[in-house]
Amino acid sequence: MTIGVKKVSLQRTTRDQIFLPAILEGLLTTARHFFKNTMTKGMGDVDTIRYGEPGVDPKSYYPERFRGVHRLMFRDDGSVRCVACMCCSTVCPARCIYIVAEDREDNNEKGPATFVIDELKCVVCGLCVEACPCDAIRMDTRTHMTPTEAREDAVLRKVDLMSRGGPSVAVQGGLGADYRADAPAADPRFVGR
Amino acid sequence: MSNHAPVLPSPRRPLRVRALVRAASPAMLWLLLCAALGVSACGTDYKSTADTASVIRPEPVRAVFHPSTGPIAVDLVNTSDKPVAIGEFRIEGPDWTSFALVEPVNATVLRPGDRLKLHVKVEAAELLGPGEPIRGAVVEHGDAPEEIAADEYRHGTAHLSFKAAGVVTAVPLEFEDPSWVSQYVLPALIKVLLLVMAFIMPLASLLTWMERKQSAMMQDRIGPNMARVSIGGVTLRLWGLLHIATDGLKMLFKEDFIPRRAHRALYTLAPLFAFVPAMVVFAIVPFGDAVCYGQLFDSLSEADVAQCAAGRGGTPLQIAQIDVGLLYYFAIASLATYGTTLAGWASYNKWAVLGALRASAQMISYEVAIGLTIVGALLCYGTLEPHALVKAQEASHWGLVLQPIAFILFFTAAIAETKRAPFDLPEGESEIIGYFIEYSGMRFGLFFLGEFIEVVFVSALVSTLFLGGWNLPFGILGAHGFSSALTCQLFFLGAGLVLTASGAAIWRASKHAEGVASVIIVLGTIHLVVAVWSAFTGWGTALPHIAIVTIGLLTWGLKVLALCWLQLLIRWTLPRFRYDQLMSLGWKGLLPLSIANIVLTALVVYALAPSAPPAAAPPTGAPPTAVPAAGGTAEAPTPAAAPKSPNPSPAAAGQP
Ligand code: SF4
Ligand code: SF4
Repeated sequence: MTIGVKKVSLQRTTRDQIFLPAILEGLLTTARHFFKNTMTKGMGDVDTIRYGEPGVDPKSYYPERFRGVHRLMFRDDGSVRCVACMCCSTVCPARCIYIVAEDREDNNEKGPATFVIDELKCVVCGLCVEACPCDAIRMDTRTHMTPTEAREDAVLRKVDLMSRGGPSVAVQGGLGADYRADAPAADPRFVGR
Repeated sequence: MSNHAPVLPSPRRPLRVRALVRAASPAMLWLLLCAALGVSACGTDYKSTADTASVIRPEPVRAVFHPSTGPIAVDLVNTSDKPVAIGEFRIEGPDWTSFALVEPVNATVLRPGDRLKLHVKVEAAELLGPGEPIRGAVVEHGDAPEEIAADEYRHGTAHLSFKAAGVVTAVPLEFEDPSWVSQYVLPALIKVLLLVMAFIMPLASLLTWMERKQSAMMQDRIGPNMARVSIGGVTLRLWGLLHIATDGLKMLFKEDFIPRRAHRALYTLAPLFAFVPAMVVFAIVPFGDAVCYGQLFDSLSEADVAQCAAGRGGTPLQIAQIDVGLLYYFAIASLATYGTTLAGWASYNKWAVLGALRASAQMISYEVAIGLTIVGALLCYGTLEPHALVKAQEASHWGLVLQPIAFILFFTAAIAETKRAPFDLPEGESEIIGYFIEYSGMRFGLFFLGEFIEVVFVSALVSTLFLGGWNLPFGILGAHGFSSALTCQLFFLGAGLVLTASGAAIWRASKHAEGVASVIIVLGTIHLVVAVWSAFTGWGTALPHIAIVTIGLLTWGLKVLALCWLQLLIRWTLPRFRYDQLMSLGWKGLLPLSIANIVLTALVVYALAPSAPPAAAPPTGAPPTAVPAAGGTAEAPTPAAAPKSPNPSPAAAGQP
């Protein structure tokens, strides 16, 4: 068997072979960017976000759906909304949610006896929030998980999670298919973020 | 992140004419004012206030002789607008016996603009010691006057006096035999300090910042901006300029690593081999014309400055005036190859050796092209000495005009010589690092800085060879001042407009830059005021020497800075060549082209040389005006007054 040699003929015009016109074009392009970015207001085309620079509030650059450290929401009576359905711990790709279910005292629903999130393992994907059927777990705290001195301090328990919690406007048990239309006004604390 | 737009304070705002007008309104007001002044000045019938007392201007105003100086030509120029009778030439003063006119001159009448040429010579032997104590020496504390040794010269003074329009004028004649130290060593030391400490090192370190900041600006990034210093609550960030200092500190404190099996001595020496030649070649770069001692505030003529440039009564602004200047550059620049080769070899690292091989092959290949491209310029200007080269460009046209092909070829080859993109195969910053892969700390810093110094040097050399060195374009600034009041006004008007406009643009661009911008606007305004002032008074044709020198230094510095900017622009625009492309560009592209350029230039120079019969029009594509260098220039009615314009002799150009 012979090895075929494929000859690729490059279509080079004289203009390409002199280099200079193309080089000049390139130089003009970069020079245009240079002068635009140095001489016009707001640094021209520079889109870099000044995140973390002194005098700049980093939170002003957080996106609307920024995912921060988790929190657990309350019912009207102040108890945790979680019904220990295990949806979140099942969906969690990092397997960092650990829940032990128990009976609630007042009715025959379930609730979490233990609710632990290992924030060191969490990949901040937000799937737990999407999975939760009763708006119990949220990541809208607009705070990063801060570094901790001891490893255990990064493992948040139910009290830690609930200490950031708040009442949820969602009706326990859900509103049916038309929940958007019937939803009460948004919680004023989270309006205008 | 796609959703952040509503939260952000929008970093971009559309450009609006009204905003621009508002921001630039102070500058515009000034412009309007100046324009109004200028218009009113046009209606004014101004009279030149040039000094009417000195009807006859001697050029030079002072003749300085050294033991080996031949006769000095003193031109007497009639600067008035009516004929002047001139006569009674005599040499007077303490040592009048030692000086003499070469040929007797008769009384004559000079028409306006005419120049009378006298030649004065000195009989140095008569001033040879031993003799009386040095005349005129200040004797302090009753010290005995200094005796002069047997074969030393004493200081001699006299003056050439003549009577013109009833006024007796004297041209001082001085004879001196300065010691080697005061003639060469001290000025050279001062110039080295001036050039290295005040220009090269600051510019090279500035380039380390400029490289990153400029590339960032070209690529729509921000670039280094975080280094800052806080003094009493005031935080200075200066657009990241402080990164120069922090980088230097970082390099000093980094581990100085030497591979275990490296050749320690050569490994240590290699950065010096790369760094020192880059510094040493600056010795031949003329960064200004000449400084005349003791005449800083006089208005001097071309002859005065030429005399100072020859080292008599002044010093050329060039560290070493070597006749073979450009050969010296080739000799030293080739030494830089050792730095790269030794660095690669001594590191005991196969990748370093490969990088060193690439580097030396590249540098040697491109040196050929560099050498040959310069030959064209040498044929046109007939000298290898950079200072004379610039003077020759001043007398005819810049190298860019006479040798446009050589300019492009030389610039390309010189960039290849600095081993920077698009020719950065030896280093390959992003992937392969190359010959200094094992280096760290300040040893690496020397390679790094050496590279930037080479960038500065290439700019300096290009501006010397092709851009007329320290000269302003079109010969608008001579040794005495602007060629006419109009050029002075145009120059200051242009400079003022550019400064004010860019100041306004910077003001608009950033609220942090308002200080700098206002300084620029004020400077521009001063320029405009000077332009208006010149329009009223006709000022500008007789400037003090120091102003001319300063303008020359600034012009040279600006040219070098602009070329550095261009090199950085090229470095961050063009992609890297493949190695075979690099070699074929060098050997199959630049080399034949430069040889063709030599042949073409030689033909044109030969055809237009004065001794040859007037030939047909030069071949197309060749620099057609190659020979105004050879012909007389407009400045002097007597062509012999310009010994600086060398005639390319047919013998030298007759290779074809
Ligand atoms: S954010 Fe993702 S990784 Fe973190 S707890 Fe929720 S599901 Fe698990
Ligand atoms: S937080 Fe939500 S998803 Fe997780 S167990 Fe509780 S109710 Fe279920």
